[in-house]
Amino acid sequence: MTKETPKELFEKGFITAEQFQKIDAITSGKVVSVFYELRTLLYLGVMLFTAGFGILIYLNIGELGHMLSIIALSVLTITCFGYAFKHAVEYTHENVKAPNPYYDYVVLLGALLFITVQGYIQFQYGFLTDNLGFSTLLTAAFFFFIAYRLDHVGVLSLAITALASFWSISVSPQKWYSGNFFSDSHLYNTAIFFSTVLSSIAVALTKREIKTHFTFTYLNFCFLLFFVGSILGLLEGELWGIYLLAIYAGSVLAFYVARWKKSFLFLLYAFVAAYIATTYFLARTIFAEAIEIWFLYSIASCGGFIYFIIKYKNYFKQDD
Amino acid sequence: MTSAYNDIWVYNLAVAKEAKKWWKHGYVEQDQLTAIQHSYQAPFYHPNFTIRILLFIAALFASSGITGFFTLLVADTGRDFISFACIVYGAASFFILEKLFISKNHFKSGVTEAILYHSCGFVIGGIGGLSDFNNVHGILFVCLIVFSFAAFRYLDLLCTIAATLVAAGFLFFEFYSLGGIFQQIIPFVFIIVFTALYFIVKSLQKRGVLKLWYNNLLIVESISLLLIYAGGNYFVVRELSVAMLGLTIQEGKDIPFAFIFYTLTVLIPIAYLYFGVKNKDIVFLRVSLLVVAFSAFTFKYYFSLGHPEITLTIAGIILIGIAIGVMHHLKTPRYGFTRENLLSEKWGSMNVQAFMISQTMGGNQPGVDQSSMPGGGSFSGGGSTNDF
Repeated sequence: MTKETPKELFEKGFITAEQFQKIDAITSGKVVSVFYELRTLLYLGVMLFTAGFGILIYLNIGELGHMLSIIALSVLTITCFGYAFKHAVEYTHENVKAPNPYYDYVVLLGALLFITVQGYIQFQYGFLTDNLGFSTLLTAAFFFFIAYRLDHVGVLSLAITALASFWSISVSPQKWYSGNFFSDSHLYNTAIFFSTVLSSIAVALTKREIKTHFTFTYLNFCFLLFFVGSILGLLEGELWGIYLLAIYAGSVLAFYVARWKKSFLFLLYAFVAAYIATTYFLARTIFAEAIEIWFLYSIASCGGFIYFIIKYKNYFKQDD
Repeated sequence: MTSAYNDIWVYNLAVAKEAKKWWKHGYVEQDQLTAIQHSYQAPFYHPNFTIRILLFIAALFASSGITGFFTLLVADTGRDFISFACIVYGAASFFILEKLFISKNHFKSGVTEAILYHSCGFVIGGIGGLSDFNNVHGILFVCLIVFSFAAFRYLDLLCTIAATLVAAGFLFFEFYSLGGIFQQIIPFVFIIVFTALYFIVKSLQKRGVLKLWYNNLLIVESISLLLIYAGGNYFVVRELSVAMLGLTIQEGKDIPFAFIFYTLTVLIPIAYLYFGVKNKDIVFLRVSLLVVAFSAFTFKYYFSLGHPEITLTIAGIILIGIAIGVMHHLKTPRYGFTRENLLSEKWGSMNVQAFMISQTMGGNQPGVDQSSMPGGGSFSGGGSTNDF
């Protein structure tokens, strides 16, 4: 691909003069798009602002005047959502194009500020502390409403996270490597249950063609949770046979979903999870000590796997 | 020496990929795309990104198994023999990569990358081992040669990054070990050398030679710009002077030529931004955004009033303001800039963004079991971005 390619295609008659002019303007750099740059700036701005504002209020609790800060935050939040609803496009089951380029970020800002308000009220007044689960559930419900009404995938992922944390499941890698993930011993069962139910709902919604572009986000969370949950259950050791079967079942499912949704990320999860499970299974049963067997195993299994993928490469083609 | 790949096929693949983007944005019709894809064919095995990652992981595991066997064979011999075996093993991997995979039309398939990095690692490790890992000059030089070779012959982008950074490290280390005045002028050497490199890359791009290495040149171009900036940045110079040259800075004193570095810290980002806008150069623009942020960080670091949360909030407001202002300004395209999305980038989808949002902000929602510190958690997620 060079700057002369459009010209070459034009001269060979693949594209018309009109198309050539349009495309050549882009590849030659006559027209430059700053679409991603502006979006990145906005995204960073929203992140920095909500983070900074959150810490600011957190540090100055009791100094700023509680009522004042809650009111300031609430006003900002309401302004964001007020703007969002005022300009909202009518609800449909389809993917809705945002009315203007910053619209999505106003909604995101509103949602993040909403979390700050909620956290602040909880911290300051404590009356929600006893009902913390309830307030998290309320946040989740509100975010689901916003996500569907205003068609926002980002808020949807916040909603799923909130719903998961209602079940005390944390869906962030930050928790994984700090070792706090599923600190409670039987949380992985909750995670497996939660992800199964949520993914069933997501599939049902997709079948009815309600916001089909949300399916990926749902399934991504669910598969991650399911596999991490069942692998942890497996490593726990007691009922490992059951978790082994669960991982295999999940992998088969992910395999079909990957084909259905044309998203090979799920395939990646499935293979990695199934590989870990199989290796664990073999380690517990057939070979335990001899180190040479492990070398042979990694060569044979991974080599065989590579061969399989290449042999059936047409099966793994993405045709979008 | 040339690339290991058939250059016509590489070109065809790139054209077909690009045409698909045009089709997605409605610039060309479906039958036109089919016609283009039909005449720009490449028999490469070049799967999609996820499959490549899978194959990469699998190939790494498989080759570590092979390595394991060889380790058992040579484990009891001496250090020199092992080092020598590593070099032979690495060289053999290069050979296998070409004969077994590239000749079967693998093109950046994940397997090729895995074997390539594996080979580089063993050759470098082996040569390093021969010299007891003491000879830093030699090791850096070998790294430079091996990475440049891999970047050039296999069009590999990660190796390009590695080669450019090693080149910078080599330059730094050579001047550092000369001592005295040479240590003082390292920043200026960096600025001069990488400015020269930048213009060489630019002229190569303009003359159209090395068009097969288009993406590699783009990377060298961006890193050169970043290194020029790093050479002039006050923070980098000061901290490296303290750490490497043993400079001690007394109260009320400053590093030598401090004034120059302050000026450069301000001027270089402005210059980048200016050239980016003037020449409509997207590389300059993107790099300028990065270095503006780093300059802001530099000044905050030494002249901080000690309120990072206020800085964050204000920085956020400024960023939102600028972004909305520019978006508004570009409602109709001006000076050849547009706010519309002309050609999609791979990582630009909303799904990726949604995942980012939940990982940076949503992940620390107050959980039921954290009731001792409710709400506090929801802020710390954002804190992960405060390296701004």
